[in-house]
Amino acid sequence: MSSLSIGPLIQLGYNSRRLPGNRIRKSIGIRADGFPASKDQQEQLNVSVLRFTFGIPGLDETYLPRWIGYGFGSLLLLNHFVGSDSAATSAQLRTEGLGLSLAAFSIALPYLGRFLKGATRVDQVALPEGARQIFVMSPAISDDEKEEFAWGSYVLLRNTNTVAVLISIQRELCVRGYWNVPYAEDAEKAPVLDWFQRQTENIGLGDLKDVLYFPQVPGSELWEMLPNGTRSLLVVPVLQSRDQSGNEIVKNRGFVMLASNIEYAYTEKDRAWIKVIANKFRDLPQVGEVFCNLDSIC
Amino acid sequence: MRGSMEAGTLLRGAIYWSFSSHSQRHLLQRARLRRDVLASSSNPQLQKSYQGPKPKRDLVPDWVSNNDSTARSLPIYVGGASLVAVLVNRAVSGIAPVADASSSQSRADLLALGLAVTSILTGLVWLTIKPKSISVVNPLGVECRMISSSHLPDPLIAELLWAWESLSSVTCCRCLVVVYDGTCILQIGVAAESPDGEAQAVDAARLTEGSVYQGVMKSGSQSYLANLSLYPGRSELPFLPSNTQAVILQPLGDKGIVIIGGDMIRGFTTADQAWITYLGEKLDATIAKHTISGTPLKIQDRV
Repeated sequence: MSSLSIGPLIQLGYNSRRLPGNRIRKSIGIRADGFPASKDQQEQLNVSVLRFTFGIPGLDETYLPRWIGYGFGSLLLLNHFVGSDSAATSAQLRTEGLGLSLAAFSIALPYLGRFLKGATRVDQVALPEGARQIFVMSPAISDDEKEEFAWGSYVLLRNTNTVAVLISIQRELCVRGYWNVPYAEDAEKAPVLDWFQRQTENIGLGDLKDVLYFPQVPGSELWEMLPNGTRSLLVVPVLQSRDQSGNEIVKNRGFVMLASNIEYAYTEKDRAWIKVIANKFRDLPQVGEVFCNLDSIC
Repeated sequence: MRGSMEAGTLLRGAIYWSFSSHSQRHLLQRARLRRDVLASSSNPQLQKSYQGPKPKRDLVPDWVSNNDSTARSLPIYVGGASLVAVLVNRAVSGIAPVADASSSQSRADLLALGLAVTSILTGLVWLTIKPKSISVVNPLGVECRMISSSHLPDPLIAELLWAWESLSSVTCCRCLVVVYDGTCILQIGVAAESPDGEAQAVDAARLTEGSVYQGVMKSGSQSYLANLSLYPGRSELPFLPSNTQAVILQPLGDKGIVIIGGDMIRGFTTADQAWITYLGEKLDATIAKHTISGTPLKIQDRV
């Protein structure tokens, strides 16, 4: 990816293993497993897990109720139209009505199950097409701040379901990931940064006070810069609650925007941690603000 | 707004300047004020307030998340009720309760029964992964806030305090100890009470020689003691409150360790563990950058 040279400052040891998801695959049939297989897969829930599985790799049994719902529902309809020679009795109609509503309920079950605590995510994550992976930062920031931005964006990309991150603090940007940038691969950084700046200003993200979370992005093109295939969006404002003299004001220092290509990508816990990472940037020295005497250049 | 954009582009990297007429008046008024107050007053006039779409409230996911136990048992009730309804329907309609597929009615009944059973089984699967509610155990000890501040630069102190603030707000962490290069840099949160009523200080030398530290250093990766009372090395961590429930030991490179004590058994989730690993790496990089090696940080001030 086109990288901004930051020098040896960003030699953080990025060798930590990504703790894998909590999927436990067992053999055919129903088994009640007392304890999970290894420490890596230890769920914080730590209860005996009943899993019904065919043992076929790649087959996701979470969606089994949905397939059964479709299958039995269509069989019911088939039975209604083709099965009998005589007209359907009212008893049959009642049964079929019940059966069809049960089928609809079964189809909805995997969707409901996603929101329960302890649900595991097994969505296939496809990288967005047509979007380029970029990594640019405003040039006018100190090395310390560059390091902070680089680390923050790295952690957010690695540890959450994010494909694109944009950090804007005091109008200094750090953009990393897959973005829909209308510039060529080898374009200069400055126009790219300016373009992002204009985009965010047009949306008006500089004055956010609350966290914006779109678990299902409305419409196909929410904002122009988002990569195709964005399904969730999270914007966390970086607020400073006290100014230097200790007075209580709420000031918007900037924001952190995360885009993901799966729906409902950020759980409550994810959002809490992302807020915490965003707060790291809160304490960066006030960049770019200079007291300009009116007599000097204006 | 446009004027400010042009000016900003011209002076990019040098001075960020805004001169809409409104802010000019502000500047005239506040010409003698400090620069940060100036910045805070001039910005709101320029920032457009957010005009994009607001996220709409999703009723179903919200309901499911909020009523977890009800949602888990819902399929069982639905399935059970449907089962009963099918049988009652057969009985009421005067059809013999024989499970064969001869008539269209029977076939429809069988299919409905199959769906009801699916629903019940799904409900059972959901119930088995119901999280056990674990209660919080308040740590017994003394509030402590000790930073070896004599030689630590401000950015490092800020980062350590940020780490504490993050961990205590997001996870079940109640005490945090950072030991680096044979010295305890930070001890914050609740600490065990020493005989003289103060917080028990961390004996970094003893800790570094102990098996807990050695084990973590040797493996080089995070160690999660989900239930501290079962762990024999408990005696090597006397500075933690006696009823600390869970502990995460995160190595900082090969020179230091972060000890995070929580108030709930298995209180740290897998997500927490991953984030703490990254946090440890960041702290390691920052401490290594700011610490002058060879200068032992022996003086500990209370903050």
